[in-house]
Amino acid sequence: MQPSGRYNQLDLRYRTREFALEFEAEWDPPSAALFGPSGSGKSTVLEIVAGVRRGASGRVILDGRTILDTRRGIEPPARARWIGWVPQDASLFPHLSARENVRYGIRRGGAEGAKRLDAAIEALEIGELLPRRATELSGGERQRVAIARAVGSGARVLLLDEPLASLDLPLRARVYPLFIRLRDELRLPMLYVSHDAEEVVSVAEHVLVASAGRCVASGPAKDVLGAETRAGAFRVHAAENRFSVRLLETHSAEGTALLGLASGLRLVMSSTPLPEREEFDVVIRGEEIILSVVHPGPLSAQNVLEGRVTAVEEGAGHVLVGASVSGTPFAARITRRALEALDLRQGRAVYLIFKASSVLLASRADLPRR
Amino acid sequence: MSETVAITLLTLKVGALSLAFSLAPGIGLGWLLSRKRFPGRLILQTILTLPLVLPPVAVGLGLLLLLSGRGPVGALCRSLVGWNPLFTWQAAALASCVMSLPLLVRASQQAFASVPARLEHAAATLGSSPWRVFTTVTLPLARRGIAYGVLLSFARGLGEFGATTLIAGSIPGRTETLALGIYGRVQRGDDRAALGLAAVSAAMAFGATYLSERWLARSERESR
Repeated sequence: MQPSGRYNQLDLRYRTREFALEFEAEWDPPSAALFGPSGSGKSTVLEIVAGVRRGASGRVILDGRTILDTRRGIEPPARARWIGWVPQDASLFPHLSARENVRYGIRRGGAEGAKRLDAAIEALEIGELLPRRATELSGGERQRVAIARAVGSGARVLLLDEPLASLDLPLRARVYPLFIRLRDELRLPMLYVSHDAEEVVSVAEHVLVASAGRCVASGPAKDVLGAETRAGAFRVHAAENRFSVRLLETHSAEGTALLGLASGLRLVMSSTPLPEREEFDVVIRGEEIILSVVHPGPLSAQNVLEGRVTAVEEGAGHVLVGASVSGTPFAARITRRALEALDLRQGRAVYLIFKASSVLLASRADLPRR
Repeated sequence: MSETVAITLLTLKVGALSLAFSLAPGIGLGWLLSRKRFPGRLILQTILTLPLVLPPVAVGLGLLLLLSGRGPVGALCRSLVGWNPLFTWQAAALASCVMSLPLLVRASQQAFASVPARLEHAAATLGSSPWRVFTTVTLPLARRGIAYGVLLSFARGLGEFGATTLIAGSIPGRTETLALGIYGRVQRGDDRAALGLAAVSAAMAFGATYLSERWLARSERESR
């Protein structure tokens, strides 16, 4: 097969005494999520790709660039791969400040890296953290600083290993949109490792499912995670709302855009950035939707939709509420306490409330080229 | 009194040169033993520990054979620069270096082992050459443990006696360090002078060891 454009391929063989990895996958979208339970080899794959774990054979092509091809003798050292590896513990340098950390790779990244670093600092909202010592940062702050550090080093691809795993739920909801912003504003292809299906669906268009060192499924997020995979190991109920929409009006003065669904439903989203195409997909995360049993009245949130509860599903520590808004299914994620307070049951009328800025572009590919 | 000062200064000079000799090999060997797996690693580790357990006089005898006119190092010195290293203060520094090197190697090895390899990996993915990884990540993170080793081995070197006496002798004003001076004065029956030198010795040893323990305590506190 001839690698072209944004082609991605992983074809890896790696063996230790306890573990055998035989991972094969191909995909075209720039970003992909690597999904699977712990111990399935996800982190090992990232370490091999980054060049910090040697001894694997095979081929790695990311974003059209051959990074490893042992049969042709291509096996550059980690420093020559230009890959931003962000391990789960962030691996910040503890003897340096956050600023010194993010600037560590500038020597390789050069002026372009410095420019992108500034953009990343803004997108990840870490400007205020920079004077602090790395050891004084919280888990979520460490992750974001580590990502900015990778961007500053001129990384052309980011490998993120469970970047949200160490955060509690409210913090995740805050940090996760920053990743999306970074991905979209810097157009950085990502390989995103997670065992959380919701996270996976929102971050990547393409999903690779890992199980016991193999890639057991590979495809568009909604196909792969909607059903049981071939491994039969995962059944996923993602509180993820993904819709195909059409751009109806742009109100650039207000900073909003009006979107229409095939069902006739209208949504308001922030107009920056807007895709060039008129038809595209958007995503609204389940946690971003507020439920109310009475009409909230005037509100800063731009989307207030009236619907009916279709299902209540209790999960571990949270509740998924399914609601139908003029035939369009939504899923909202709330706490058990909220469920009891609102007394939500199947058939009850409910208002779904979310901000224009909670309506996110589903695909990076939809962004206008600059 | 001026004699005491002269002996103390000579001892410090010998200690400083000994440290200069042992710094690079001590840190280098410590790194090698903590980070690399190679055939003969255990043998090297054992040889480097030997000076701690052998009688110092035996080590001195070995050095004497090396430095004498018939030994390889001694012959080289004589034929190249026409210099006889035996019974010079530089020889005292060499003896002190050999005897104290194991402490520096051990401490550095432990200090390097405590630096997570992941941080070095991260630095490599950010574009750093192995040398830059070492100087910007490994060494700064190991610095307190290494400083501990440096001070401890310096303190050990100051008191070196057995090996020094064989290859440097005890020539007043030239190779007579504190340890040799104490021994000489006790032999002569001049206990007062011996006690004076011993007091200086104790003060210096206390200072260096106290500093090294403080470094270590601080590094343990920081790594928590």
